[in-house]
Amino acid sequence: MQRLDSKTGKAKWYRKDGLTTVISSILSILIGLAVGTLIIIAVGLSKDTISTNGIIEGIKLVFLGVFSTGRDGGVLTFGFNPVNFGNMLFRATPLIMTGLSVAVAFKTGLFNIGAAGQYLMGTMGTLSVGLTLAWKGCPAWLVWIAALLVGMLLGGLWGAIPGLFKAYLNINEVITCIMTNWIAANLVTWWFEAHDVFKNSAEGGKVGYIIPLKNVGVSTPKWGMEALFPGSQANGGFWVACLIAVIMWVIMTKTTLGYELKACGSNRHAAKYAGINDRKNIVLSMVIAGALASAGGCLYYLSGNTEFFWSTYMTLPADGFNGIPVALLAANHPIGVIFAGIFMSMLNVAGLQLKYLTAYNEYIADIIIATIVYLSAFAMFFKLMIKGRRKANEDGKNVNAETVEEGGKA
Amino acid sequence: MTSEYVIEMNHIRKEFPGIVANDDITLQLKKGEIHALLGENGAGKSTLMSVLFGLYQPEAGTIKKDGVEVKINNPNDATALGIGMVHQHFKLIEVFTVLDNIILGAETTDKLGFLKKKEAREKVMALSEKYGLKVNVDAKVEDITVGMQQRVEILKMLYRDNDILIFDEPTAVLTPQEIDELMEIMRGFAREGKSILFITHKLNEIMAVSDRVTVLRKGKYIGTVNTKDTNKQELSNMMVGRPVQLEIHKEPAKPTDVVLKVEGLSVPSKIHKNDAVKNVSFEVRKGEIVCIAGIDGNGQTELVHGLTGLEKASGGRIELLGKDISHASIKKRALAGMSHIPEDRHKHGLVLPYTLEQNMVLQRYKEDRFQHMGFIKFDEVREYTEKLIEEYDVRSGQGPVTVARSMSGGNQQKAIIARELDRDEPLIVAVQPTRGLDVGAIEHIHSQLVAERDRGKAILLISLELDEVLGLSDRILVLYEGEIVGELDPAKTTPEELGLYMSGAKRNVNNGKEDGQDAETRQ
Repeated sequence: MQRLDSKTGKAKWYRKDGLTTVISSILSILIGLAVGTLIIIAVGLSKDTISTNGIIEGIKLVFLGVFSTGRDGGVLTFGFNPVNFGNMLFRATPLIMTGLSVAVAFKTGLFNIGAAGQYLMGTMGTLSVGLTLAWKGCPAWLVWIAALLVGMLLGGLWGAIPGLFKAYLNINEVITCIMTNWIAANLVTWWFEAHDVFKNSAEGGKVGYIIPLKNVGVSTPKWGMEALFPGSQANGGFWVACLIAVIMWVIMTKTTLGYELKACGSNRHAAKYAGINDRKNIVLSMVIAGALASAGGCLYYLSGNTEFFWSTYMTLPADGFNGIPVALLAANHPIGVIFAGIFMSMLNVAGLQLKYLTAYNEYIADIIIATIVYLSAFAMFFKLMIKGRRKANEDGKNVNAETVEEGGKA
Repeated sequence: MTSEYVIEMNHIRKEFPGIVANDDITLQLKKGEIHALLGENGAGKSTLMSVLFGLYQPEAGTIKKDGVEVKINNPNDATALGIGMVHQHFKLIEVFTVLDNIILGAETTDKLGFLKKKEAREKVMALSEKYGLKVNVDAKVEDITVGMQQRVEILKMLYRDNDILIFDEPTAVLTPQEIDELMEIMRGFAREGKSILFITHKLNEIMAVSDRVTVLRKGKYIGTVNTKDTNKQELSNMMVGRPVQLEIHKEPAKPTDVVLKVEGLSVPSKIHKNDAVKNVSFEVRKGEIVCIAGIDGNGQTELVHGLTGLEKASGGRIELLGKDISHASIKKRALAGMSHIPEDRHKHGLVLPYTLEQNMVLQRYKEDRFQHMGFIKFDEVREYTEKLIEEYDVRSGQGPVTVARSMSGGNQQKAIIARELDRDEPLIVAVQPTRGLDVGAIEHIHSQLVAERDRGKAILLISLELDEVLGLSDRILVLYEGEIVGELDPAKTTPEELGLYMSGAKRNVNNGKEDGQDAETRQ
């Protein structure tokens, strides 16, 4: 029971569930930015090369980096910068997809830490199929669709592996996800190592890159992005990600499939009792999560201005893991993931502005992100603070929860 | 000046956000008496005891010990005043030994800080001897029975020299035999001059053991009466606030066609390698309530899991309405005509983070009535839930959108029963349908089950409560160590006879060993 207003008998507006979630996320963000500000001040004070004015500029860029339009006469200028905005949306695309992947899995009771591996498998599928089909003379639009679908399929299958282990052997998905991440990294490296045709040897001086799909005439259409944000890398991939997010929201909240998946996630035993196939649903939700994460990789490398460094066995893509904070910040809400993804990439853009325009480096942005990630784990705590001490009372004694309930009726 | 009362709680008021849990409650405990505190779930009993034990601070009111006003800020203050409490859910460390658990928090050490375990052991042994509290002090708590765990909790109080003992629903987890033992122990304490506060909603126990009873209802003080001057009916009326039917009124059963036929069913155990249910055969017919009786842990859970498909049977045949469902999935069994009120309402019965309306369609969300092309028809679900709420009197804070977790236990159970009964299947498997509920809710659920029987349903009831077994069923099957050892007619048997079968001392069925034996005994 929520604490009720003494006059109206209704829950106070700021204690409504959805709103408290948003507020607690915003609190995390503000505290993260405040920490970033403190670091800028501390770094500025400790270095002779940074003046008081430099510190103020740094703080301005942390908050308004995406609005930065460079310098005019030595003074930072701000305004609408289509390049920054466009790049922000471009970089947000894979984050939205991996964020969705983590969020959807989490809603069904699974912690998908394997988004990085699924992302890599998707990338491999997209590039290999895209290039092969294009060489065979398929029309570009068909290649684009086929490459995306095959990439997502491959990611989905990759996600199924931890799902199967969880469902049939009750092995924790976190462990198998971490293992499949590294297996994917080595598998992808081996695949491109073994298939020289995909390597970009045509362009001199480039070593270790796969031929970009734009070289064979395949890239994501702009779909109005070039008019909105001229000069930026933004493309239609962002709209595709948004569309997928909306579709996921509909599936999770409006359909019997979402009902089943969430029931299994919330209480596997009750789902089984009700005749829902709990094993099937666990595997299915990992397949969906895998397909979503891999779509991030597919859309990124289909965009037309990216190149894949294939020797990846030592590193996993950061976007795979950054899906976790995106999902946390969005409180696992598919639509919230869009905004959380944009916000995270906005910080990236701000970091780059810091690097280009001031004596600071872009890692300040990473510190802010890290702080926010840390705080988003506290989101529940913030929620409780806003809602009053309701939960504490419920936990204190079961009987009290019932007492409260009695009171609600009377 | 000494007071007649060892503890007095005067005009206690305790509020929680949006609710007054204790409203002007007075409780006076005499030295050497067993004082029962009676009330339904949510009446404020545990809150009042938590105030006495220092877990909550009251907004108003005073507490006196031996006539002197005291302030109890935390459980340590309570312990210093000689107040001890056995909680409903034991507060023991499973991997510690009994002795370690008893001395925890009250350890005595020598000058170098080493535990003086030998002295502690001697003291515990002496107490155990004196009050007949048999425990194995070196066993780990995880390895001992629930009854023995409770004795450990009692020894904890005695070890701290407490003379005011609070028992919070102590019998909820005990078998009938253990309950008798506990009653005897409590009487022994009272003779010693210790004062006992006994929280319960079971009237039999109050009549058996207490000297006086204080009744609470919805946070309010209703009255205090001498046990010898009252009776169960009066107490239950005070507790519920309206006349309650304690006896279950029902016409004799008129069973007709066989609905469920079980032949030689065996179900493996999760704990050991043998079968938990061994070669069990029985039938349930239309219009009768067949009760599986037995002490907890004799294969009841496994039998139900085998029947409903939650667990794979290792042998045997199950027929529902003439259709073999021995190997059918849970869903197919449900669709073939089986409702199941599960034993554990939190584990199986409800998806607690889901709302009431989402829980109401847990098995039915795929029916055309509630979905179209995979999209849930929210209006239909809402309407259906509102109908069930109305018909089955399910109460909750926010109606259909109440989160199941926030509902009281009684209403959670009512919601499950509403869902299962409304599916209108020919067979209802009801497992401990009234566990942990208060008198009012039990009465309601019993009359609903009888009504379903009279409508021609076949009901298989699994119960641990003797009153329920004898009062509700038309036929009793006693399960002992996974076998049906007796088939009894509730009208012709006594609790004592039933107890003999339940403890394995007597049997009148040799299942599977001689063909036709079942049928003969039934005549």
